[in-house]
Amino acid sequence: MAQSTRQELKVLISTGHLGTAPSNPESFHLGMEANPDFVVADGGSSDPGPVYLGEDTTLGHFVREELELFLTASRRKGIPLVIGSAGDTGSNRGVDEFVGIIKDLAQEHGIPKFRIGYFYSEVPGDYLKRKLRAGQQLTGLGGFPDLTEAEIDSATRVIAVAGVHPFLELLDRGADVIIAGRCGDINFTAGPCIHRGFPEPLAYHMGKMIECASLVAEPFMGKETIIGTISHDDIRITPYHPQQRCTVASVAGHSMYERENPYYERTLGGTLDMQECRYEQHDERTARITGAKWIPARELRVKIEGAKKIGERYMGFVGLRDPHMVRNVDAAIEWSRTAVAKRFPNAKYELYFHVFGRNGVLKELEPVKHTAAHELAVVVEGLAANDALAEKITDFAVRMFFLARIPGVKGTAGAAATTKKTMKSSPGYMWNVNHTVPIDDPMELFPVHMTEAGI
Amino acid sequence: MTRLYDLASTIRSKNAGVNQITFDIIFPDPQSYRRALASSALTKERIAKLFGIPLSRMSDYVTFDPANAIKFTIYRLRPSGSPGDWDILGCQQYGPLLEVEIP
Repeated sequence: MAQSTRQELKVLISTGHLGTAPSNPESFHLGMEANPDFVVADGGSSDPGPVYLGEDTTLGHFVREELELFLTASRRKGIPLVIGSAGDTGSNRGVDEFVGIIKDLAQEHGIPKFRIGYFYSEVPGDYLKRKLRAGQQLTGLGGFPDLTEAEIDSATRVIAVAGVHPFLELLDRGADVIIAGRCGDINFTAGPCIHRGFPEPLAYHMGKMIECASLVAEPFMGKETIIGTISHDDIRITPYHPQQRCTVASVAGHSMYERENPYYERTLGGTLDMQECRYEQHDERTARITGAKWIPARELRVKIEGAKKIGERYMGFVGLRDPHMVRNVDAAIEWSRTAVAKRFPNAKYELYFHVFGRNGVLKELEPVKHTAAHELAVVVEGLAANDALAEKITDFAVRMFFLARIPGVKGTAGAAATTKKTMKSSPGYMWNVNHTVPIDDPMELFPVHMTEAGI
Repeated sequence: MTRLYDLASTIRSKNAGVNQITFDIIFPDPQSYRRALASSALTKERIAKLFGIPLSRMSDYVTFDPANAIKFTIYRLRPSGSPGDWDILGCQQYGPLLEVEIP
């Protein structure tokens, strides 16, 4: 890679998750006026849960609007646009969908011809099974046991999380727009910085600092634009919403965001070590960061993600206002659960009772054991192998609150208030692949492609 | 006695991967950070007791001087977004910390 002749490189980002809500255009355009070298955005993550990968759907309703803003602004300036984890999960369908939107927008806006580079990241189950049969260990992350063939078979789709490598390859090939499959949050920024010859430790750390856009600044504001500037000695982070500032506290605080440990960030190819980082105020609104280290991995291991289907899902809502029922909510749940077990003795199902007003959010972690609420909501969540059974079981469990026989209840017309029809929800999925796989080549699972768009 | 709500500037929780939730308690200055650390109200053991979990469910506990922060991470019982989970992002799990009293 050519050593950069430039002293610094500016990367603009306006959203931590493309498409969930639109970027605010005012700070975006202010940022564009500062002449960034790249516009980047994160298309997704595993955060919204396993349903999107399992069902292969996109979560955001503002994808097209966001891509339109980014594409027209970046093409006008003639600078590259880099989108990570297309379609939320980085599935092949997500990548193809994003590439298609870019092509449509290019036509619609009459944008002069440009090159789109894209890469896939889905992993065939057979590839993983061959690794297992060759005696290689697919190591569980975050408390998961090592991966088995049975779990590989039950995952509807498995994707691998890319490092900077496919970004470097696509930039080498002259891509003006990159649509990435699943990649680490830090890599769609680190890739361009490394490609232009800036030091790896600073490049990866800048990726970490700007991945969530304005969340690195204070006060708290989402979907506002920031610019990260990398030099050969430091990185600097500047917000473009007039009321936001990057402070030592806000950038140091963000450097530990969303990770189990504030000092290390692992990605394909190595570990970012932030133990000796220094955070300083550069000017009134800009923070300066130095001191990151990059420790190349001895063995290349790529992270893989996958989800398995549990069943079709329905939800019903129950309201309790009778103080006696509120006090005896556990007895009512038990009544409902037992009634379902008796009525459907041979069915395979899962049933959950979320008691809002007591521990609906924290569940077993809730220290408040006795609620002072005068009314409670119980959300009944039921899953079974097919739609009809899931609906029948969930609805029955809801009705059983209405019919609950709790000693001492004075109201004889109904023991619970219920809503309308029990509602269909998304199918239920569960993350079952959260592992690492040894690989020989960091490009092995990420085939790259080039295509053209525009007129 | 001061409530943690009044002493800390940021108290948050968030997924750290699909099977862990990480908690950040960030103080506005080294004085309040040191006071919280010295008080023993936020040790690993006290936090485990607050949430009613065994220490084995806490994967990490770190004090992070550059941000005047205490950070700890716990394992979920099932991965985020599994049926029965109502906090897919893990972003509301910090609630009980606000009421912790710091001497």
